[in-house]
Amino acid sequence: MPDTYGNNTMMTTRPANNFIGSRAMPELVYNAPETMQDLMDLISTHGPFAKIVAGCTDFIPSIRTGRWRFDPGLNLIDISKIKALNRIENKEDILKIGAGVTLTQILTSPVVRASCPVLTQAVEQMASLQVRNTATMGGNLCMASPAADTAPPLLVSDAWVLIQDAQGSTSVPVVDFFTGPGQSILTPGQVLTHICIPKIKAKESAGFRKIGTRTAVIISIVSAAVKIRMDGDLCETARIAFGSVAPTPVRVAAAEQFLAGKPLEKRVIEKCAGMAADEISPITDLRASAVYRKDVAETLVKRCIMDCLEALT
Amino acid sequence: MKIPLTFVLNHQKTTFEIDPWQTLLEVLRNQGRKTSVHRSCEEGECGACTVLLNNKPVNSCLVLAASVQGASVMTSEGLVKNGRPHPLMKAFTDELGIQCGFCTPGMLMNAYALIQDAGDTVLTDAVIRKALEGNLCRCTGYINIVKSVMVAQKSKLAGEWW
Ligand SMILES: Cc1cc2nc3c(=O)[nH]c(=O)nc-3n(C[C@H](O)[C@H](O)[C@H](O)COP(=O)(O)OP(=O)(O)OC[C@H]3O[C@@H](n4cnc5c(N)ncnc54)[C@H](O)[C@@H]3O)c2cc1C
Repeated sequence: MPDTYGNNTMMTTRPANNFIGSRAMPELVYNAPETMQDLMDLISTHGPFAKIVAGCTDFIPSIRTGRWRFDPGLNLIDISKIKALNRIENKEDILKIGAGVTLTQILTSPVVRASCPVLTQAVEQMASLQVRNTATMGGNLCMASPAADTAPPLLVSDAWVLIQDAQGSTSVPVVDFFTGPGQSILTPGQVLTHICIPKIKAKESAGFRKIGTRTAVIISIVSAAVKIRMDGDLCETARIAFGSVAPTPVRVAAAEQFLAGKPLEKRVIEKCAGMAADEISPITDLRASAVYRKDVAETLVKRCIMDCLEALT
Repeated sequence: MKIPLTFVLNHQKTTFEIDPWQTLLEVLRNQGRKTSVHRSCEEGECGACTVLLNNKPVNSCLVLAASVQGASVMTSEGLVKNGRPHPLMKAFTDELGIQCGFCTPGMLMNAYALIQDAGDTVLTDAVIRKALEGNLCRCTGYINIVKSVMVAQKSKLAGEWW
């Protein structure tokens, strides 16, 4: 059974049963707009019956495995040739990252490393070099996998995305973007154009960790990100987010609030990590059991907070 | 409807008639007869179909051929010069970095980009392993593969390279 509707398009049908092996690509019409204007024209011509892609590293495997199926005649819109979406802009308080920017561009960007090191950390642990060379962060978010590794860093950074459609551009916090496994607030005919991330400031620190069945080229069993802002010896505010423990990437509000105004000593960190694990109800699947996920989540929060403290000293 | 696709394949401007739903892997093998580009998982997991796209390693199974219009693509056939195997290939045979050979063309392309980009920085075991993490060798011959890459870089630093 397909677990999604091919995100953001209306052209999905059910896959054939009992088929082992690689399924054929659907007959498609390839469009590669070079400007935003051409993109919006294509969207208004084909409306919901078009599929937007960037790196295709989720799109093609989803077809090959039979998770998504499209009718022949699919209008594919490849946004990777739009120069305006291929830039990392270093603004005064934020980084503005285009939806066409590849994971390799993010990983090798000194600006990202300086202003949002937690994102660099996460991207470093994603996929493989070959995949990172074409995959985008926009695609990672729009795929809306509960395991999307760029989501926890963006959640703890209070990032937002810009979404464009025929009516214009709107801005949505990442925390409101995901609505379910494989689902986001994007509706057919909408395109995610940019990801905006507030830069890390003095007295702030953030960290990301992920656990999989091995250390490379693996989907997370649990991923976690933490960001803290210190005021002297006390934690002023905290953000804690997880991947792979809920239908969407999530923040855990009670654990975050617990840290506010407290000294980050061992007892406090342990209590907070326990609260964070209590706030989630992960599922058991073929990668790990719910119990194991809770255990790992607790440990990852502890380690991430300690990473943050270490980075601040 | 077939569309014309023009790109630089192994240093030569080439035009093929393709279906827009063909992957780069399919076009390289079927139209281009570059059969060193191996078809295996078709999901980006194994790296056997790795080629260089504008000098960067990519899984050709995850690239739509239509998207490489005007780009430069290199397969391991492109490493051979006047019938002579590339020093990187020689390192893989000398150091027994090849067992069954299925993963080898993909390994070669990834390793080639790694060595090209490294300049004078000597590649360590850890750096090589991280770079090659997207290439699976089911003979598990990784130790000799890493050694082959190190030896190949020595050839490059000694001026034995193209
Ligand atoms: C071997 C392998 C390993 C991987 N490892 C990881 C990993 O460790 N962690 C991880 O999180 N992911 C991983 N992935 C998944 C994938 O690589 C990432 O999710 C990637 O970031 C997707 O980006 P893309 O540009 O390739 O998306 P595409 O495949 O082009 O698109 C994905 C989806 O998003 C939609 N979309 C893309 N861009 C936009 C846009 N701008 N506006 C609207 N909709 C859009 C598409 O319609 C499609 O539904 C892996 C994939 C492979 C093949």
